[in-house]
Amino acid sequence: MGIEYLASVFNTILRQTAPILLVALCAGVCSKVKVFNIALEGTLLTSAFFAFLTQYFLRNILLSVLVAMGVAMLLTFIMSFFIVKLNGQPMIVGMAINTFSLGFTTFMLSMIFDTKGTVTITGENAGLPKIALPVIKDIPVLSTMFTNLTAIDYAAFLLAIVMYIIMYKTVIGFRLRAIGINQSAASSLGINVARNQIIATTLSGAMIGLAGCLLSLGSVTLFIQNISSARGYVALAANNLCQGHPIGALLSSLLFGFTQALARVLQNTAIKQQLLECIPYIATIAAMAVYNAIARRRAKAAKL
Amino acid sequence: MNEESRNWKKTLGAIADSFGQPLVAVLISLLLGAVVIMICGENVFTAYGAMIRGAFGNEFYLNDTLKRATPIIMGGLAVCIAWRSGYEAMGGEGQMILGAFCSALVAYYLPLPGFVRLLLAMLAAVVVGAAYSALSAWLYDKFEVTFIISTLMLNYIANYFASYMTNFVVKDPEALDINAVQTGKIAAEAQLSAITPGSVHWGFVLALVAVLIAYFVFKKTTFGYKSRMGGLNAKFALYGGINARRMLYIVLLISGALAGLGGAFEALGSKYRYIDQMIFTTGYAWSGMVAALLANFNPIGTAVASILLAGLSTGGSAMQRSTIIPVEVCNMIEGIITLLMSVKLLRIAQRNHKARKVLREG
Repeated sequence: MGIEYLASVFNTILRQTAPILLVALCAGVCSKVKVFNIALEGTLLTSAFFAFLTQYFLRNILLSVLVAMGVAMLLTFIMSFFIVKLNGQPMIVGMAINTFSLGFTTFMLSMIFDTKGTVTITGENAGLPKIALPVIKDIPVLSTMFTNLTAIDYAAFLLAIVMYIIMYKTVIGFRLRAIGINQSAASSLGINVARNQIIATTLSGAMIGLAGCLLSLGSVTLFIQNISSARGYVALAANNLCQGHPIGALLSSLLFGFTQALARVLQNTAIKQQLLECIPYIATIAAMAVYNAIARRRAKAAKL
Repeated sequence: MNEESRNWKKTLGAIADSFGQPLVAVLISLLLGAVVIMICGENVFTAYGAMIRGAFGNEFYLNDTLKRATPIIMGGLAVCIAWRSGYEAMGGEGQMILGAFCSALVAYYLPLPGFVRLLLAMLAAVVVGAAYSALSAWLYDKFEVTFIISTLMLNYIANYFASYMTNFVVKDPEALDINAVQTGKIAAEAQLSAITPGSVHWGFVLALVAVLIAYFVFKKTTFGYKSRMGGLNAKFALYGGINARRMLYIVLLISGALAGLGGAFEALGSKYRYIDQMIFTTGYAWSGMVAALLANFNPIGTAVASILLAGLSTGGSAMQRSTIIPVEVCNMIEGIITLLMSVKLLRIAQRNHKARKVLREG
């Protein structure tokens, strides 16, 4: 196993992590303002579809990204409006959006492309442009590590830091966290709780749109039914591990990115595809169990 | 206002509460569906006509709908018992997959008389479904892994595992089509047979029996009360002498057993084998969840809603055959129904009405 190979594995990990991280960051904002969002999965799927659709017909990558962000924000807005303003049960609202999204994208796929299988975009500039970093691209191993990454891949990791600064170093972030900690205290400080919840979740929804672009226009430029394949739920788990902290989300997403990459790296071995597909899901449960067990032990130790 | 008319009003209000909301939700969703149909350039009446005929139009279609309703009812009951106790578990799909898979294997491979094989197949589904559900309960109890994450992940794991087994370990040796990923066909004597030739299979009757038992248990027994308390307020339950932890396991075991059995009915009574992805793509468990929500976790209401939702998708397939509208429009309608059921629509309308009245009258 050469160092070049390890570098390419590292590259796969980065590419698998980015979409999960973006969704986890959105989940982080939602959990900080106490809007329980499990519509992540459906939102991711729908925005991936619209990114693909726009690119397929208009071949304008910037527009595709904007459309995906817009769609994701719209769905996230609907989600938080139903939960915050109409007092809907978060679980049911989320599952409704997820059911609808799966039906809607498959419906559109078969109406527009007359298939329920795979649709691809071919030709030059089919997907997001790959960015070659100026110096690194000439260094052998490093270039493999960072090859074929798009602007959104880099943006995902930068956004983790940006979100940390917004949530923990600015007044806006302080207000938002105040809502999560104690709603009535926040509202007695003159913070309009409902409005802040809806605005914050809706804006953070844009990050799911970016993740959607990565799925359908990133390393592959295609759309298949249910292309998100539970990444939204995995991101929810990632956010659960870090309690909404953006830098924590970076670490936990890397863990899940690693398991997704593992499933891909082992593809050429004797282990069958179907069993490899289980790895990320098993790892998600295992990671949560281990984390909670450690957290509980620590809490016990603190009490003594 | 005298006492009698107030009572009468209260009853009316309760009826409006339990029937009004689902009715409004279904109507709005069908209206939105009509808009979609019009955008696709089809006549709404032709399309919905085809849908209704294809769901309940004649004996053949009706039986098809009831056949489809069977696993949905069981999935719905599984959701009823878990959710009304406060455990928002969504593992019905995984339990159903394993139930269908295991029952298909038992019914196909065991060298025993047909009827014994059939019983053992259903028993296997019950055990496997309950065990898989208990796994998520254990993860919750021991490690505080929330149900939403554990059950959703377990669903995917179950589907991939069954897919692996059907592809490589127990693939039908007699399949005519080499690409058919399925287990061997269950012999006629080990199948859940039709009640009368051509009609729905006995699984449907068993599902209805399960509905009645659930209704009785929920309403009339202390277990029904205790299970509810355990999830609603663990501390209060403890105070009242209910062991919430024990209740968690019992409730989740029963829920899993029901879902597993639902999978078995589908494999033994409808497909006569396990076909790769057969539970995953049909979305039985999710429809069951929607049905349970529509009925507010009332078992009888769940059964009625399940039959309607089954009709929505058998009708949808019929519509797909006679128009250009893909069957997925039904998933969209189902999603919108769920979304509208998530909020107390009528309560909100009432509140707004009252607020306006107050404003008007100063």
